[in-house]
Amino acid sequence: MNRIFIAGLAVLVVVLIGADASLFTVSQTEQALVLQFGKVEDVIQAPGLHVKVPFTQNVITLDKRLLAVELPGEEVILGDQRRLIIDTFTVFRITDPLRFYQAIGPIPDNIRGRLNSVVTGSLRRVLGNNKLLDVLSADREHIMSTIRGQVNTEMANFGVSIEDVRIRRADLPKENTDAILSRMQSERQRVAAQARAEGAEASQRIKADAERERTVLVADAKATADNLRGEGEGEATNIYAKAFGQDPAFFSFWRTLQGYRDIFDAGAARLVVSPDNDYLRLLQAPPSDATGQPAASR
Amino acid sequence: MPWNNGGPGPWGNPSGSSGGDNDKKPTQGPWGNSGNKGNNSGDDKPAGGPRPGGQRPGGPFGGGGPFGGGGGPFGGGGAPDLDRLIAQAQAYIRGLMGGGSGRGPGGRSSGPLSRFTSSRGLVFLLLLIVVVWFGTGFYRVQPDEQGVVLRFGAYSYWTPPGLHWHLPWPVETVELPTVTRINRTEIGYRSGPGGTIESGQDTTGRDVQAESLMLTGDENIIDIDVAIFWRINDAPAFLFNTANPEGLVRGVAESSMREVIGRTPIQPALGPMRGQIESDVLKQTQEILDRYQAGVEVTQVQLQKVDPPAAVIESFRDVQRANTDAERMRNEAESYRNDIVPRARGDAARIVAEGQGAKAASVAQATGQAAQFESVYKAYQAAKDITLRRMYLDTMEDVMAHSQPLVVDDKLKGLVPFLPLNVPPPRPVAPVAPASSASVGASR
Repeated sequence: MNRIFIAGLAVLVVVLIGADASLFTVSQTEQALVLQFGKVEDVIQAPGLHVKVPFTQNVITLDKRLLAVELPGEEVILGDQRRLIIDTFTVFRITDPLRFYQAIGPIPDNIRGRLNSVVTGSLRRVLGNNKLLDVLSADREHIMSTIRGQVNTEMANFGVSIEDVRIRRADLPKENTDAILSRMQSERQRVAAQARAEGAEASQRIKADAERERTVLVADAKATADNLRGEGEGEATNIYAKAFGQDPAFFSFWRTLQGYRDIFDAGAARLVVSPDNDYLRLLQAPPSDATGQPAASR
Repeated sequence: MPWNNGGPGPWGNPSGSSGGDNDKKPTQGPWGNSGNKGNNSGDDKPAGGPRPGGQRPGGPFGGGGPFGGGGGPFGGGGAPDLDRLIAQAQAYIRGLMGGGSGRGPGGRSSGPLSRFTSSRGLVFLLLLIVVVWFGTGFYRVQPDEQGVVLRFGAYSYWTPPGLHWHLPWPVETVELPTVTRINRTEIGYRSGPGGTIESGQDTTGRDVQAESLMLTGDENIIDIDVAIFWRINDAPAFLFNTANPEGLVRGVAESSMREVIGRTPIQPALGPMRGQIESDVLKQTQEILDRYQAGVEVTQVQLQKVDPPAAVIESFRDVQRANTDAERMRNEAESYRNDIVPRARGDAARIVAEGQGAKAASVAQATGQAAQFESVYKAYQAAKDITLRRMYLDTMEDVMAHSQPLVVDDKLKGLVPFLPLNVPPPRPVAPVAPASSASVGASR
């Protein structure tokens, strides 16, 4: 019995060793190359459990996921001679593990150097034909897809497919940044000065306008008033002329007498008269008769 | 590839073996699971029925263990204690090996019993290993997680929160991504330990200038901090499609942010277009991540801080002050205008009124004088000579009465220089007249 049991155990161990040597798993995130003495026998894309010939074949797995490589701080001269520091990241996938393995080796990260130079070259070529404002603006998407196309073509032999090349940051070099900052500052100062000046302008304008309005109002009123006075005088003159015109001689007499009263009524004037005065003449001598006038009179 | 899932392989296919069950009932393995109905019910409470020991205290193999159910080869009708289980196992093995022909279980004869002692121990050890091995297949999915089961590395199915069992290693393994949690990716700053998703704002954060300073569409520089909130919306895609999803979210969001700002002038970006920027960034980030099939849903993009760079912020504030100043000056001028114009209107009204008064006065005066003249003239016409004479005499009397006349005879030469013409006349007037002349002193 013991022997049977031990034999069973031995069989089990052999089976396990055999299974270990002939079975292998490919993870969901991987793809695998099956090599027989260095020669590629199979390329496995599907994840799961797979079989190989034990001891003569070995397996190399490569990542199947989207991989991102960041390429920081590349200084690029643009079409308008401006300089820009560009950070990119490139998203790619290993589509042909055999080629990739032949070109790069088992570690995907090693592609970084190649990718770096290709992306940089493409970046310089494409951005060299574009202006700063294009890079900043909506044209960015187009630029990025152009770069992606170029990189894809150049990297075709590496068994990778470039899914995306994205400009992550696009900044100006330090000295340009300082220039921009001081320009922003002066620009803001200009805006501030303009705002204040416009405020003063508006203030002056409103005040002047108000003063003009005041002057016009008063002057108009004066004109109206003078006009009214003139009208009054005119009307008065007409009235006078109409009334007095009936007998100018009598008017003259009547008005003169009125004047005498007005002038001497106040008592401020003194009258030096001769006794020959018509009114006083009776002081000197009685009249010859009651009606007769002693001297020439009106 | 005979071992892949999807066929009736020797390891069983959970989705096929139970005849049309969906992926959510993965534990219907070939070893049966009939004792654990709560296990498959999708119950969120992991402490429910299926926990080992929960229903059968003291039984290490109770519950969902392979020996517990009625379908197992050792099924003993739910025997609770270890001893009995072992006894049954021994009996079964003995039966298998054929050594105990005719002998009953329990081993009344001491001969075969001693012969089998070492084998029995070994078998028991093996069984124990197998049981423990199967036990490693239990896993618990927390309420915020999702179970993603891989068979030989290949994605097989997913499980909701609760207790589940998968075929033990190396056949199946499970990944437990937290799918309901909202993750926060910060660009331009790093919040301190106090910053949480709930509080939204961080208090002890620090600024990362390299990330936050960016060029605007009109070639200015703006300082923007932004928080991206995202969650896993497709766990398998999140786990298997991209190498570093978190890093990808950050890179894509930063790229989108700069692209959006790159076509926005600084003034709108500082104020009115914030909402627009947020939604543009969200939309673009989501589009790109969808293209990568990253299994990520961006739930919110929140601009935390949008400022001009620190070096020039003072001059931006000065513009604000300048605008306020301008407004103030304008208001002062308005108030000046509101002060003087109504006054001027009042003055104007007064002047016009005066004019009207003067006109009316002139006319009234003229009318009055004319009327006076008319009446006098009428009287005069009635008796011309006598009226003339009377008027003359009345007037002369009146004049003489009021003006203290000084009657001077022409013949008295040399008197004139002594006349006190410039002093008010004394009253009563001393007559200075020749004796021959009569002086009339009039007094009022």
